[in-house]
Amino acid sequence: MGASSLIVLMIAAVAFSGIAILISKFVLKATTNKQKGEPYECGIPTKGPSWVQFNVGYYLFALIFLIFDVELIFLFPWAVVVKQVGWLALVEIVVFFFILFMGFLYAHKKGALKWM
Amino acid sequence: MNALLLTAVFGVIMMLSSFLLTSKTAIRGLAVSGMVIVLAANVLEMMGIVFFKIDTKDMIAFDRFSLLFNSIVFISTLVYFLLSARDMEKVGINYGEYFALIFFVLCGVTLSSSFHSLLILFLGIEIISIPLYILTGSDKRNLKSNEASLKYFLLGAFSTGLMLMGIALIYGATGTFSTNGITTSPTSALVIAGMLLLMFSMAFKVSAAPFHFWTPDVYDGAPTVFTSFMATIVKVAAFIAFMRLFNDEFGSLQSRWQLLIALITAITLFIGNITAVFQQSVKRMLAYSSISQAGFMMMAIFAMNADAREGLLLYSAAYCLATIGIFAVLMKLKDYSFDGFNAFAKQQPLLAATTTIFLLSLAGIPLTAGFLSKFWMIKAVAGTGKYLWLVIFAVLMAVVSVYYYFRVIQAMYFKEGDGQTIEASLPFKWTLVLLAGIIVLLGVFPNWIIYWLYF
Repeated sequence: MGASSLIVLMIAAVAFSGIAILISKFVLKATTNKQKGEPYECGIPTKGPSWVQFNVGYYLFALIFLIFDVELIFLFPWAVVVKQVGWLALVEIVVFFFILFMGFLYAHKKGALKWM
Repeated sequence: MNALLLTAVFGVIMMLSSFLLTSKTAIRGLAVSGMVIVLAANVLEMMGIVFFKIDTKDMIAFDRFSLLFNSIVFISTLVYFLLSARDMEKVGINYGEYFALIFFVLCGVTLSSSFHSLLILFLGIEIISIPLYILTGSDKRNLKSNEASLKYFLLGAFSTGLMLMGIALIYGATGTFSTNGITTSPTSALVIAGMLLLMFSMAFKVSAAPFHFWTPDVYDGAPTVFTSFMATIVKVAAFIAFMRLFNDEFGSLQSRWQLLIALITAITLFIGNITAVFQQSVKRMLAYSSISQAGFMMMAIFAMNADAREGLLLYSAAYCLATIGIFAVLMKLKDYSFDGFNAFAKQQPLLAATTTIFLLSLAGIPLTAGFLSKFWMIKAVAGTGKYLWLVIFAVLMAVVSVYYYFRVIQAMYFKEGDGQTIEASLPFKWTLVLLAGIIVLLGVFPNWIIYWLYF
């Protein structure tokens, strides 16, 4: 059972992608124009070269955002069980916050929040 | 459990120390004392004193084998800190972070040496790998370092994908993540497929051929001080994980994988040794030598008996200590080629003598730990009674390895040259002498390590 289902899965995967390509080959009306060469066919046409430098500081903000995001997401399941678990839950979430706070402190001290 | 938590805590402490402490000496002192505390806590756990009793739901099992291995790793890291911590200053400005990342790697090492669940294996391997990608690329302005980091990251992520697929297949076949051994019979194709995927991904992590292609480039491109760490401690940690996985989970299927492992061992020995002969740079030669040493350690995976377990522990101690010593000397040099060692013995007789002992140990000359560990490996394979061609082949390849190790000794003692001026402090020299002493003592009394396994 194990081997045959694996083989069926592989065949199905290949067949699925193959059929999709074949269908698009038959249905598609072949047209070529200048727009086809663009990286994105939709959206506003770009003016000038798109290879501009943007500030590398963006990713630092994204990472710090992640700290709070994770913190918030973990609060939801915690809030559901906090009454059953009691005081231990409070201690645990404080420890958890403390660890995250360390990370935030590190980022702050390293100047990740300063816009250069 | 002591070591697992303490390494993570010290990782965070070292991270904070990078802005709390301004003096580099203080950071270094903190890292060394942290390592001593971790080592002491781990030794206490071996004696039965556990600080943190946490119910891990049988996902982590700290047994004698893993605790002893952790101690070996911590001692090696301590020696590494004492010898090479000063050289990390040259890599970049983030001095405290390098130590933090190394502590996080050690946390992963602790996990992957004591897992009792495939999930923990995955976690451990990933906690080891991710800081290593960063350490490889830590020389930010160096193109080679960047290339090595990217290559390591892409290939490492690929092999991790293989590992996850393997874990998923095993889970699909057995319905559990615990490594209690495959008991379903007849063995389904899912188990075999999962086992192969896990084998390939682990072979990638220990850089066994034919999955070794990343090793020379990454080891060559990374800052030498981190190559030293990667080529020793991380490699033996991956081997312990490999051994635990194939002992606990796939031990019952030994007849199925033994031939494949034997072939991988033979290819690794061949490629590692033959390619190392042609290298011009000592750093790259050491990268290939690490592949060939991996071939010898693969023999333990192949045999998987009591001798193999003892031998792998001895091998990891011998290999780690000797390679860390050689790299510590190499870091002091500016020219990494074989000619850079010309007339080194006239310049620094003490350093040349200790380097000779390390090289003799790696080559497996009697009276050093390297000889006995190779002996243990060959004894383990011969003990299985099958595949005797593997034993003969390994001995032949050990002879080949003598050539490129002795090339360094020849350059140091018998070649004329102007010799590089290097400055080596007195503590550095004494640590090297101590390290050489340990290697010789282990070569005479291997029971000092093996005793702890049964004590």
